[in-house]
Amino acid sequence: MSWMIDPDPKLLERLVREGLRGGGNWCDLYFEDTVCTDLLLRDGAVGSGGVNVDCGCGIRVLDGDRTGYAYSESLEEGALLSAARAAASIGDGSVCAVSSAFSAAGPAPARNFYPMREDWRSTDAARFVPALQRLDSLIRTRDSRVHKVHAMLSSQVSEVLMYNSLGECVRDTRPMGSLSISVVFLQDGRSETRTVSRSFRAGAEMVDETLLQELAHKATDGLDAQFEASRPKGGTMSVVMAAGASGILLHEAMGHAFEADFNRKGQSVFAGRMGERVARKGIWIYDDGTLPGNRGACNYDDEGIPGQKTCMVEDGILRSYLHDRISARHYGVTPTGNGRRESFRYNPIPRMRATYMGPGPDGTAADLIADVKKGVYVEEFANGEVKIGEGDFTFYVKSGSLIENGRLTRPVKDINIIGNGPRALRDIVAVGGDLLIDDGAWTCGKEQSVPVSCGIPSVLVRELTVGGA
Amino acid sequence: MNGKNEDRARARRCLQMALEAGAQKARVSLNCNVMDLVATLDGAVDRITHCFDRSLSLALFADGRYGVFSTNKIDDETQLRAFVQQSLALVRMLEAEPLRDLPDPARTAKDAREGDEAGLFDPAYGTVGPEQRKGFALFASPWGAAAPDGSWRLISEEGEYSDSLYEQYIVDSQGLECLHRETAFEYGIEVTIQDSRGDRYSGYWWDSAAALRDFDPSYCGRKAVQEAAAAIGPRRLKSGRYCAVIDREAASRLVSPILKALGGYAIQQDNSFLRDALDKQVFPAGMTLRDCPRSIGQTGARFFDSEGVATRDRDIVREGTVRTFFLNSFMAAKTGLAPTTEEPVRPVLEPFWSAASPQPKHIGRDELMRLCGDGILVTGFNGGNSNSATGDFSYGVEGFRFKDGKILHPVNEMVMTGNFLPLWAGLLGAGTDARACQQKSIGSLAFEGVDFSGT
Repeated sequence: MSWMIDPDPKLLERLVREGLRGGGNWCDLYFEDTVCTDLLLRDGAVGSGGVNVDCGCGIRVLDGDRTGYAYSESLEEGALLSAARAAASIGDGSVCAVSSAFSAAGPAPARNFYPMREDWRSTDAARFVPALQRLDSLIRTRDSRVHKVHAMLSSQVSEVLMYNSLGECVRDTRPMGSLSISVVFLQDGRSETRTVSRSFRAGAEMVDETLLQELAHKATDGLDAQFEASRPKGGTMSVVMAAGASGILLHEAMGHAFEADFNRKGQSVFAGRMGERVARKGIWIYDDGTLPGNRGACNYDDEGIPGQKTCMVEDGILRSYLHDRISARHYGVTPTGNGRRESFRYNPIPRMRATYMGPGPDGTAADLIADVKKGVYVEEFANGEVKIGEGDFTFYVKSGSLIENGRLTRPVKDINIIGNGPRALRDIVAVGGDLLIDDGAWTCGKEQSVPVSCGIPSVLVRELTVGGA
Repeated sequence: MNGKNEDRARARRCLQMALEAGAQKARVSLNCNVMDLVATLDGAVDRITHCFDRSLSLALFADGRYGVFSTNKIDDETQLRAFVQQSLALVRMLEAEPLRDLPDPARTAKDAREGDEAGLFDPAYGTVGPEQRKGFALFASPWGAAAPDGSWRLISEEGEYSDSLYEQYIVDSQGLECLHRETAFEYGIEVTIQDSRGDRYSGYWWDSAAALRDFDPSYCGRKAVQEAAAAIGPRRLKSGRYCAVIDREAASRLVSPILKALGGYAIQQDNSFLRDALDKQVFPAGMTLRDCPRSIGQTGARFFDSEGVATRDRDIVREGTVRTFFLNSFMAAKTGLAPTTEEPVRPVLEPFWSAASPQPKHIGRDELMRLCGDGILVTGFNGGNSNSATGDFSYGVEGFRFKDGKILHPVNEMVMTGNFLPLWAGLLGAGTDARACQQKSIGSLAFEGVDFSGT
């Protein structure tokens, strides 16, 4: 299947000229050619699979903060020019020079954050059939209660070319591999399900025995607790969040409020609070596109800005929002490499990459649990939602335990943790030194779906509402 | 849609290529979508977007094996042929799944050839030009609104108008040929207000119609501001058991898990709390839920599913008894049950009134609050989840405390928990107020004895 993008440089210039003809002061082009392949194991057989080929070019014209956007699935000149004209309609009609107010991209990244040792596109998919069968077998061997195993291996490679009205042109090859499993267990007529995933910006080399073993363990470890788990009495109590996957709460409840579009529009609870204390001393929050092989890694963002690490909260003080070119120009700062998009069909907007809290001085989860009289220890959240304006969030606990008098006493499930993002940030009273980045297949759904990851050290929040029985 | 006949011919050609390449059976779906969108920010145009998508999806059945492939590179015949051949090579590499097959031709739609049969295509689509779009986008803007007493002011407003045309054309190697097309005119607006203490509250409203003549978004901005202003000054309530009235905007959240649990995949994987419920009364006698895909002109109407199987109006739950699962050809073969359609198309919950007093002609949230007397009115869910295997759920809620049928104050940071079977067993009423613009026609609901967690 063809995936190479190689447009004539003169065509790129013509498209930008056409885009700016309506009076816009910035134009950029985003060419993408993506091939996704899925293999599905169900009921013991790798009996279903598929490929999706998606190709096109998005053309964006900016007139100050305003956006004109159109795309073409055809890379023929006529179709591209037509899209450029549609995007150009945002302009006020007065032809003007390209604005220098939009920043140049800056130096290229020092390294490729996601080299592919084994390119998915040239790897025979037949090699993965025994790997999925092996995973099925590993899971079934580990626990006699396994009833159904559903496993999906998804791979994707995107070739991207970005060109803009400053004449900057960058290319990026973006691999992504995800292995996700869902297991149904039966015990005494009761069923429980477990879903586990691992995802990396990496080539086919990621599918190895180590990964299969890790997933098989994740799918079956702690299963007794899951069957024993019950819904505790609800109320207000302390919450200890385990290192790793519970960082999704940081992403949802606080991270979105750092995205500069919400702040530029006055919607975020952090709007107008730059330089203010938003958390206690010792708390550092980052958004990072430079973690090698990480699902949120970006050599370049989708506006051609090199991948970088951004510190939003420095020792408790709000220091930076997450910017795309529009918000960076609006605030008079340099873009932070957060202009991301789902595909050529979407205009880029500020999005997170890998969002995590830096390690603190307060030991491990066991140390934090020992300080809690009554509370909940959350190992993993399943999903959550936040209201950006109010900061109110709700997160569903996938697995966890009740804490009584400094000890874990019984497993809990099917509960929600509910609170307010900025207040929860202020109420963090202890941060462990055990930062862990989670490699699950996290996808952020703010208007568009983009791959992200999250992480957190063990954290103690003084008070949150736990929705129980 | 430009070139639609050529694209449909290409879909038929793709089907032929698949058979020539060695597939025993195949199905091709052509999906096209055109959308124009104008977004506003604070009372001014902020973004204009034009979208045009076309893709072919190819289901291949070869040597007892099966795969689904899609591409949007469909103009070049040589490239398309290579795609088909490479797809077939991948299918042959898979393990056999002998139960995979096209649906019985007797079950497929024969009455959806023109595309307009569901009554959702407006010929006036295409008459809307750029200026009219901007007009729609700006007309409902409440920018500049503030409380007369100064208790709040509007600090942000984002609106979005769009018009679109969607078309799906399906052909298969057993002679199936069907077409569905629909137009949509939509407007949504989100506002953020700030009260005198500096706290922010957001409100959202939307409307849509398949026909331009039925489309009137002019009230949406005012309504969104009202929603935000009503949420000022929320309180957390004491945890306890309350009557719950679920506003029609949120009610489908309590019906969707039931529909998902009746789906073939959940049933076949034993991951459904309703896996043993067929033909059993597991819901209260007052609950009747139907699938009404053939209500011509109603949002969500559709004459065929993704396999091309003809839809039909049917009971999902009749007076508390589960009457159907949703099984495509493969899931039906796997479970040994009769196939239906892949999923519910246009679910409709029939009105219900539990009180001895006569059932009002109109049952909305006000009538249901009066029926309950005291309780919590849920206007939206914020996060949460449900366990498809057990039916347990836990949702964050936003809404209001009500007493004697009247709203007292907003509530926040509360969670509603329970299990769907006991929840629905406590059904007190189901409204007649479902919005015409929603695909799931579910009115407001009232339940007794619902657990809420707060302080």
